[in-house]
Amino acid sequence: MADTVNKTLDPRLNRRGFLKGCTMAAAALGLSESVVPKMVEAATSAERPTVIWLHFQECTGCSETLLRGTHPDLARLILDIISLDYHETVMAAAGHQAEEALHDSVEKNAGKFILVVEGGIPTAENGIHCMIAGKTALEILEEIAPKAAAIIAYGTCATFGGVQAASPNPTGSVGVDKLVHDKPIINISGCPPNPVNLLGTILHFLTFNRLPAVDGLKRPKFAYGRRIHDHCERRAHFDEGRFVEQFGDEFHKLGYCLYKVGCKGPETFANCPVARFNEAGVWPVSVGHGCIGCTEPDFWDTMTPFYDRIPNVKIPGAGIIADADELGTKVLAATGAAIGIHAAVGVGKRLIKGKSDSDE
Amino acid sequence: MAYQKKHCWSILLRLYHWAFALSIIALCITGFYIHEPWTNTLREGSASWPMAWMRFAHFIAGYVFTAAVIARIFLYIFGNKQERIMDHLPVTPRNIKNIFSTLLLYSYIKEGHDPDRLGHNLLAGMTYVITIIAAVFQLISGFYLLFPELAIWEGYGLAIFGSQQWARYIHHLLMWWFMIFALIHIYLVVWNDVQEPEGLVSSIFTGKKFTH
Ligand code: HEM
Ligand code: HEM
Ligand code: SF4
Repeated sequence: MADTVNKTLDPRLNRRGFLKGCTMAAAALGLSESVVPKMVEAATSAERPTVIWLHFQECTGCSETLLRGTHPDLARLILDIISLDYHETVMAAAGHQAEEALHDSVEKNAGKFILVVEGGIPTAENGIHCMIAGKTALEILEEIAPKAAAIIAYGTCATFGGVQAASPNPTGSVGVDKLVHDKPIINISGCPPNPVNLLGTILHFLTFNRLPAVDGLKRPKFAYGRRIHDHCERRAHFDEGRFVEQFGDEFHKLGYCLYKVGCKGPETFANCPVARFNEAGVWPVSVGHGCIGCTEPDFWDTMTPFYDRIPNVKIPGAGIIADADELGTKVLAATGAAIGIHAAVGVGKRLIKGKSDSDE
Repeated sequence: MAYQKKHCWSILLRLYHWAFALSIIALCITGFYIHEPWTNTLREGSASWPMAWMRFAHFIAGYVFTAAVIARIFLYIFGNKQERIMDHLPVTPRNIKNIFSTLLLYSYIKEGHDPDRLGHNLLAGMTYVITIIAAVFQLISGFYLLFPELAIWEGYGLAIFGSQQWARYIHHLLMWWFMIFALIHIYLVVWNDVQEPEGLVSSIFTGKKFTH
């Protein structure tokens, strides 16, 4: 079945495209070009690893970005070096046939396949908020994850819960690594992630037989080792104090730094400025919009408002949602007023008692 | 009545106090600039780096601040009687009693300090301890923002704050604690100096207090 998928999707991948893809992945991994032949060899001669791709609570944007970008070579390459046995969006089979394919493949490749998870897993009310073929996402993961060799959580939903985990997280959605603890897991976060990072991870796995080095949030360091801000092409404007004040203003037209309109590049780990998207060499900041921090945990809660630097202060119960500095100024002013009253009482008391300072 | 001159604060405590106070003033000003740079320009190639300089000043002040906090923690354990942490926490009957007498004093009901205390009153002492705890979180979040790739700061930063953005948010909110603290602190120091002429303000320069 996998081959059918592969061939229908891959009528044009030639050697040139193949080499180009491997070179891109090597560059993203920060490896020298001398490993490219090694990679090519690993990708072509080694047995293609079976990949099972599960979809849970998500919008399928991650798969869409992978398959329908203007970078067909990349998607074709990924599909060429792996044997994609199960992927609900692109597979030809449906219904019972699809279920069968899944179970056959899991049994046949037990302990050997790579599991890619796309989407968060709802845990509230025993997980009934996401059901596929009569089973909850929770049950499916519990059944399949123990048989995988390694798990790639693909996209911010699968890594950190994503949009459905935004406060108050009604379905109790969580990322894979909150539920599976005894398997190597790699988090390729992003909403959506750059497909180069998936390709790099898989090629690393094939070439060196292990997953790449990761940071404290299990994200591969080759892609998430530096903050956007530290590789941004607008950084000189930041250091030299030239900022966009408002979208569309003079400063914006001149391509200045987007810090004051809420760019979250300084708080976000990702290789967007380096790897870029869609083979057109673009990424959000290059086209004039700040980073929204989509590769970071809970970004829907911590990075919003998207056009401010830091979140508002919410005081539960009192129903207060306010800008941190506005609230701080009010508290400071109230403190000042209290001090004034306290001092006035003291002065008043002295006047009434007529106490002099010479009473020592 | 004869005044008696008593040694109260060691030289290290006084150095720490002013390193702490002055660095916080610098950190608040540069921190505000980093949060919302209030300058802007269309001039390019002017060889001036306002944001880079403000950040540099912030980091230098941050190191001074960190040194001060470390000195204070050292004094909590190895300082003189007035400086040790046991003199600041409500752990002895004498200290607990002092909370109430200080409250009465501050509400203009009772007059005069407890004569058995040379150092801080308990309300002040506890507030200072809370401030030093806040300072520890402030410097951990600060160093995590500065060196997120270093394993040690990544470890503490992720364990405590969970992400860069949340560290920055807490870092920003804590700034308000220091500003509100400074306002109340300076007022109360002056107020106490007026109420009881023991030379409180000068004690933080000279280390000496006067009792009678
Ligand atoms: C009382 C002490 C401090 C105050 C009041 C303070 C205040 C601030 C403020 C308001 C910001 C801007 C955050 C925002 O965007 O909202 C900031 C950023 C920052 N602070 Fe502090 N800070 C203090 C101590 C420190 C210390 C000890 C360090 C460690 C060296 C530090 C390192 C940083 C860093 C690295 C940033 C981010 C700068 C950037 O990415 O451009 N801060 N600080
Ligand atoms: C004109 C400015 C200031 C003066 C005259 C002053 C004076 C004093 C005095 C007299 C004490 C001892 C008070 C007592 O026994 O309770 C003290 C302690 C202290 N002050 Fe200040 N202060 C000033 C500014 C600041 C600022 C801006 C800060 C920080 C935001 C600060 C932080 C502290 C702390 C933390 C202590 C406790 C010392 C300890 O840890 O034992 N002070 N100050
Ligand atoms: S545009 Fe964003 S990432 Fe780029 S320098 Fe400005 S704040 Fe940093």
